[in-house]
Amino acid sequence: MSAMPNVSAATPTAALHASHVSKSFASGRVQSTVLHDLTIDMRAGELTLISGPSGCGKSTLLAILSGLQRPDAGRVTALGQDLGLLDLRALENFRLQHTGFVFQGFNLFPALNALEQVELPLSYLGLSRPEAQRRAMQSLEEVGMGPRMRLRPSELSGGEKQRVAIARALAKEPELLFADEPTSALDAANGQIVIDILHRIARSHGTTVLCVSHDPRLVGHADRVLAMEDGRILTDHTPTATPATSGGAEESST
Amino acid sequence: MVALARKTLIYEWRRFLPAILAVGFAGLLQLLQAALVFGIFGSASVYITGSSADLWVGYPGTQSVNLGRPIDEGVQARLLMDPAVSRVEPFHWVDADWRGPRDTGGVSVFVSGIDPRPDGLMFSQVLPRELRELLDEPDAVIIDRADLKSLGVDVGDTAAINGHRVRVVGVSSGLRALGGVNIVASLDTARELDTDPTNVGRMTYFVASLRDPAQAPSIAKRLSGSASFGSYAVWTAREFARRSQMYWILDTGAGAGVLFLAGIVFLVGAVITSQTLIAAVIGSVREYATLNALGVGVQALRRVVLEQAFWVGALGLLGSAVMGLLALTLARSRNVPVAIHPITAVLCLSLTMVLAMVSGLAAMRSLRRADPASLLR
Repeated sequence: MSAMPNVSAATPTAALHASHVSKSFASGRVQSTVLHDLTIDMRAGELTLISGPSGCGKSTLLAILSGLQRPDAGRVTALGQDLGLLDLRALENFRLQHTGFVFQGFNLFPALNALEQVELPLSYLGLSRPEAQRRAMQSLEEVGMGPRMRLRPSELSGGEKQRVAIARALAKEPELLFADEPTSALDAANGQIVIDILHRIARSHGTTVLCVSHDPRLVGHADRVLAMEDGRILTDHTPTATPATSGGAEESST
Repeated sequence: MVALARKTLIYEWRRFLPAILAVGFAGLLQLLQAALVFGIFGSASVYITGSSADLWVGYPGTQSVNLGRPIDEGVQARLLMDPAVSRVEPFHWVDADWRGPRDTGGVSVFVSGIDPRPDGLMFSQVLPRELRELLDEPDAVIIDRADLKSLGVDVGDTAAINGHRVRVVGVSSGLRALGGVNIVASLDTARELDTDPTNVGRMTYFVASLRDPAQAPSIAKRLSGSASFGSYAVWTAREFARRSQMYWILDTGAGAGVLFLAGIVFLVGAVITSQTLIAAVIGSVREYATLNALGVGVQALRRVVLEQAFWVGALGLLGSAVMGLLALTLARSRNVPVAIHPITAVLCLSLTMVLAMVSGLAAMRSLRRADPASLLR
């Protein structure tokens, strides 16, 4: 696959593209390669899951694909933009306009209630106060946190906090949503809710959702699963032929 | 805009309390030491501030009122010739040696020879009319109540100044001066006490009141220009009082001491404040990193930290203003010499705000730890 100057025109489904990406870290005198010459595409409107054991390089891949880290070699193109050409400020602005993040730790400000948590990044987008508030409420409703949006993190359960964190990422209406181990701090029921929400976002908003996890429960919900080991992608498959909601249907039928 | 800085400050007030207290006490210390210095050294100019003259005329270059040298008595006529001058009064200053009835050894005193008439300019603010009248009696002197002990006398006692017998006819308050005990006598008595033969026909100062006191600076300038009757200089009362105070502040090293202490207070305050703010930033570093991942720029995050520092400073200042007011009121009621000019107060409090902002700048540096890539494990 060659360079894609305009993703939406050339290949309408590839929102995120990495070609020949490699990354290594030096710890002391030991140089360890985390990513070996990776080339992958992520399609819009899909929930892509990168799974693998810890230390396989999946978080590093996420950091590079999302523009939080730069690769040692290779190129990342997101929404037609070569991330390697952007300086720090431009990269921040790109993230502000186009990407959302959900982390394993919920990272919510203790002093703010759920609504304010979601509203905070929106105010930096240049939205007016009422518009930011409207969007924040809307995305809190979407993750089912509408009734609890006036509560602070200390008054919320882990699952609820993660839903607020998702709403915070979602309210920006990003084309790209990155999630790093979003369920590993949650129990089964809450994990299930979070997966469903992420899947729904990919479907209904056409968002490219890239999720990194070693949680086997997620596999059934992904549109595509990349299995990683030792900095290489071993397999790339679609878990079920039927629409991905079947995964959720199976769970709920039990 | 969500008021992240303020909301965090309110919600996590315990975390910010040490910084607020540090700023508050730093401000309070700056205020009190300034008030004490100006209070103590303000008494160097009690001769001027306790009187109601508009102009002071003395030997050119005199740095402080207690360092006056005699000038020609003809200057009085020169002053009276000016239509802007309504009254002129001599002020005879004698540097003298006191021997009291009790065993106090020699005490260095300053005798202020003034015109004792009821509406006299000298010490009009600190000597009531009935006390002034007592000075008409030959060899009568008045001292400050607080100096009774160091002079070893009581009212009605006799003592010797420069070997000449005097009698203490009364006590007042607000006469205390720096450098030596201030003793008030009439001009005639002071002349008797002055043993220096070269001072005959000469006077230490002439003080004048003006028809329009607001014109004092320009009249002082005009009168200074004349060289008749030998050399003399004319200052406005305000200017001469300032000159005397500054002389004492600088001459005694008190000024340097104050600056040194102010520096120490600033340093200690900044260390505590910045450490507290740094701890607050580090406590929220994952949240800041998340905001940065979501595209909120480092500049915007720095503004949040700086805003926090500003509020810490503002709250601390409020505290120091309230505590300072209480402390100064208490000091006044206990006769501790304190004096603070509004400009000095504003200066002290501004310095404290600078302290808070410098601490904020220091805390801003720890935002570098807010690397969003570190959130991915």
